[in-house]
Amino acid sequence: MSTEPLDNATIALSRRALLRRAAQLGALPLAGSLLAACGSSSSNASSGAAGGPSTGTIVLNNYPDWIGPHEISTFEKLHPGATVKQVTNATSSSAEVVLAFKSGQYDLLLADTSDTGQAHAADVLQPLDFSKIPNIANVTHSFRAAYPYGIPTDYGKVGIGYRPDIVGEKITSWHDVWRLAPKFSGQVVFIDLERDCMGSTLKYLGHSSNTVSPAQLNACKNALISIKPHLKAFLNTNVGQGLVNGSTAIAMDWDYDVAINKQQQPKIEWVEPTEGMKAYLEGFAASKSTGHLDLVQEFMNFLLEPKQYAQFVNTTGTAYLVPKATPFIKSTISKNPILVPNANTLAKVEFDRYLGGAGATLWANTWQEVKAA
Amino acid sequence: MTLACFVIPLGLIFVYSFGSENLINFNVEFGWTTANYRAFGSSLYLDTLLRSVVLSVGTTLACAVLGLTLAYFISRQGPRTQRLLLAAVIIPFWTSFIVRTYSWVDVLQNDGPLDNLAHTLGILGPSSHINLLYTPWSIGIGIVYSYLPLMILPIYVSLERIDPAIYNAGADLGATPWRQFRRIVLPLARPGLIAGSIIVGVPAMGEYVIPEILGGGKTLMVGNIIANQFQETGNYPFGAALSVTLMALLLIVLFVLRRYQVTGEPAT
Repeated sequence: MSTEPLDNATIALSRRALLRRAAQLGALPLAGSLLAACGSSSSNASSGAAGGPSTGTIVLNNYPDWIGPHEISTFEKLHPGATVKQVTNATSSSAEVVLAFKSGQYDLLLADTSDTGQAHAADVLQPLDFSKIPNIANVTHSFRAAYPYGIPTDYGKVGIGYRPDIVGEKITSWHDVWRLAPKFSGQVVFIDLERDCMGSTLKYLGHSSNTVSPAQLNACKNALISIKPHLKAFLNTNVGQGLVNGSTAIAMDWDYDVAINKQQQPKIEWVEPTEGMKAYLEGFAASKSTGHLDLVQEFMNFLLEPKQYAQFVNTTGTAYLVPKATPFIKSTISKNPILVPNANTLAKVEFDRYLGGAGATLWANTWQEVKAA
Repeated sequence: MTLACFVIPLGLIFVYSFGSENLINFNVEFGWTTANYRAFGSSLYLDTLLRSVVLSVGTTLACAVLGLTLAYFISRQGPRTQRLLLAAVIIPFWTSFIVRTYSWVDVLQNDGPLDNLAHTLGILGPSSHINLLYTPWSIGIGIVYSYLPLMILPIYVSLERIDPAIYNAGADLGATPWRQFRRIVLPLARPGLIAGSIIVGVPAMGEYVIPEILGGGKTLMVGNIIANQFQETGNYPFGAALSVTLMALLLIVLFVLRRYQVTGEPAT
C-alpha cells in the first residue's frame, strides 16, 4: 500500500466536507442563486451553429473546488467567445438538485445517480447527443451505463476506516463494527448522510442499499438506533479526522477521506467489508432549460479528455473512471488500492439508484427517526 | 417595508403549510389540507419539540443567572470600567457566529483545552476524558455562549438606571447584601430579565446551527427538523406547517411574558 504523501491540495480538499460546511453556513445557496441569476446564460449569450464553434456563457453548478484549477480557463482559451461561469452551489440533497435543475439558472449541474434519476422522472433533464461527446468512450462502460443521463466523473465507496493499534483486532466486516461499538463506545463515528449511513447499515443487514422495503428500512432504523448510544457522532465534515489523533477508533467513512487521512496517520487501515459496500456515482448533467446545448456538450467532451480529466482527479483525489487518464494521474492516486479497487471488489459494490418519490420519502422519514431517537 | 419583508413572507409560509407536494418534481399543490399539521402529532416530532423546549428553557435560565450576575457587576463599576466591560461583552459579536460556534469544537473535544485543564487540575484521571463534545451539554454550552450578551445588555440597561442612593438606603436600614439583591436589584432588573429572556429564548427554541455543529448529529432540535424539510427533503408544505406551529407556540409564550412584564403578575 502506498504511503507516499498526497500533495497539500489533495489533502486540503474534501468534497463533502466543503459541501456540507457550506450548507451549514447557509450562505452559499443564497449567494449561488444570486450569482447564477446574475449570470444566467439565457440573458446574454448565443450558441453557434451546429458543427461550428459554440459561443456564449454557460453556468455550471458544482461543488467548491471540484474541478481542475485550469480546466475552465483552458476551455475558454480553446473556445474563443465561450465562457463558463461556475457557481459552487451544489448539494447532496436530491430535492435541492431537482429544484436547481428546475430553476433555469444553470446549464449543467453536478448530480449523482439518485439525483439524475429523480430529475429525469421530473422531466427537467436535457437529453444529450453523445455523438457530440466522443470522449464518453473514454469512460469505463459500466460507469457509463450506470449514469445514462450525463457524463459520469467520479465515484466513492463507503467502507470502514479504523486504527488497529487501538482496536487490537482486525476488522473485516460491518458486523465487527456493530460488535465492537459497545467496547469502543464514544470512539465510533458514522457518516451523517442518509444514503451513505443507511445504505451501509442495509449492507450490514444483508439487504440492498437501494431497498425501499418498509420492513428492511425499519430493521435498518433499529440497527442504527441500537448503535447510536455508542456513537461519538454522525459527521458530515472531517468524518475520519479523529482517526488521525486516535480520538476515533472506528469510522464509517468514504474511501477518499480514509486515503487522505492515512497520509497523515499511517496506522489507519481501510476495510472493504465482507458484506459489501455501497457507493455513489456522480457526474454532470444538462438542464432542460439550457439554451446552449452545443456548448454544454463541447464542455462535457473537453472534461473527458484524458489530460483534462487527470487534472480534475489530481486536484480532488477522487476515485476515477477514465482509464486512459491513468498515465497523467499521480501515482499516489492511481496506485492507491483504497481508491482503485480490484475488479472483484468493484463487482461487489452497489451504486446508489433513484428510489422513486415514495421511496425517497420513506428513506427521509426513516433517517429522521434515527436522528431524533 | 414591514409588509414586504415580514407580513407577506409569513403569509406565504402560512399558505404553504396547507399545501401538498409532488415528491418527484416538487411542485406544490395548494389543496388546503391539514395533513401537515396532523403529522406534527407523531411522537417523533413531539419528542423533538419537548427536547427543544427543555434545551431552550434551560439555556435561557442559565443565561439569566449568568447575565444578571455579570450585568449587576458591570453596573456597579465606575464609568470607564463599565465601558471597557461592555466592550468586552460586545466584541465577540464582531466575529462570525459560525466561526465562534466551530471554535467550541476545539475547546470541548477530548485532548482540547478544557480536557487538558481538567487533567492538570486532577479532576480527571490520566485515561479519562471530559467527553463533552457532541452531547446535549455541548449544545447547551454553545447556546449560552452565543446568546449570553443578548441577556446581559437589557439587564444592564435596567440596572444602570438604579440610583446608587437606593442601595445606600437599603444598607442604612440594615439590609444584608443578599437581601438588597433580592428586594432591590431583582425587582428593578425584572423588565430587563423578561426582555432578555424573550431575546434569548425565542431564537434558542428555533436554533439549528449550534445543534448541527456541536450536537454531532445525534441531538435534533425542532429547528433541525424544519431546516431538514426545506434543505434536504424538499417538503416545503410540511416545513412550513412545522414553522407555523413553532411560531404559534412562541407567540403564546411571548403573550404570557408580555402580560407579566406589563402587569408584574403572571397572566391569567
